[in-house]
Amino acid sequence: MRIALVNGSPKGGASNSGILLEKLKPLIAEGNELNAYRVNVKPLKPEQYRELNEADVLVLAFPLYFDAIPSHLLRAMVEMEKFRQQEPGNRELIVYALINNGFYEGHQCKIAADIVSNWCSRCGFRFGMAIGHGAGEMFKSLSRVPLGKGPLKNLGKAMDQLSAAILTRSSAGSLFIQPNFPRIAWRLAATHSFWHAQAKKNGLRPKDLRRQPFQVSRNGNQG
Amino acid sequence: MRLIVHDLAEQDFNTWLGGFSRDTDEIIGEQETIRHCVGCFGCWVRTPGTCVLNDSYKHMGERLAAYEEYVFITRNVYGGYSPFVSNVLNRTLPYVLPYFLTKNGETHHQQRYERQIRFTVHFYGEGMSEAERETARSLVRANALNLDASGYKVSFHDTLNSLKEVQ
Repeated sequence: MRIALVNGSPKGGASNSGILLEKLKPLIAEGNELNAYRVNVKPLKPEQYRELNEADVLVLAFPLYFDAIPSHLLRAMVEMEKFRQQEPGNRELIVYALINNGFYEGHQCKIAADIVSNWCSRCGFRFGMAIGHGAGEMFKSLSRVPLGKGPLKNLGKAMDQLSAAILTRSSAGSLFIQPNFPRIAWRLAATHSFWHAQAKKNGLRPKDLRRQPFQVSRNGNQG
Repeated sequence: MRLIVHDLAEQDFNTWLGGFSRDTDEIIGEQETIRHCVGCFGCWVRTPGTCVLNDSYKHMGERLAAYEEYVFITRNVYGGYSPFVSNVLNRTLPYVLPYFLTKNGETHHQQRYERQIRFTVHFYGEGMSEAERETARSLVRANALNLDASGYKVSFHDTLNSLKEVQ
């Protein structure tokens, strides 16, 4: 089975979507051909669209942007739909989604999963299922934690269900989960260990992050 | 006093939506190249409130803060906005703060500005499925919540002609 793993993170280097795909790989590798793709600000080439269109399974991994799909990946999906209209490709192609969001609650990924499902309907793909995971920015610090352990206990169970669906090319209910880590602890860590640490690196104080640049609108009102 | 983002060709906009006042409303169409958000968080931790990508969309946060209403006129693409409109929204990230708050039991962003906007979206396109309409309604509701809009409206238009009623 040819499985295309699409990393839709716009970041140039390491990404949370990439970490999720790395966790999935060992669960679906045996006897299958895994091919990795990166859709970031650089568009895919026509031959890459052809390869995706002819795959048996497509796994789309991406971060949630404004409750939906980041615009660079959306452009690629629109291109893929156009490509599909020209070349039928694999009629049995099935799509799975691995979505991470910056908030804590995984269920905030549901609308993006529905958009992927609607895209499948337009393209004539089958929609398999999605995993939507909250607290996505934590993955970098958890990349060495084994699936199914500690904060990744929920993710481990979800990945088992996803990989079982992929290996049988079947559809299942989507799963929206968060790490096994209290929300309040996550929020404190995000504020102090992430935002304030990043600000300090850039020579800024926490209060600087609340700056309010404003411009005058055309009728003269100020923001 | 609206900030209007649309994905129509210039000619279509002038034909169907020429009634918008360019004196009081700011209209953003796909005339200039827009770069995609690269997820660097620079608008939060390097130049707070301003995007670090150097194009004409770097000030979307403060531009929005200067208006009372954010209006999208967009093709319904799989139940969401078109790539261009979505791109502009993605570049509006500096409008909110990186910090979180809990609202209705869910995490959302704290607001950078004290004022609130209204959020209005007109989806157009032939043959929108019921699923695409339902997803679109959910998306606008969720975006309005994250932008802390004082209210939101969603409408659907099967033809460009029916967009005339938008004004």
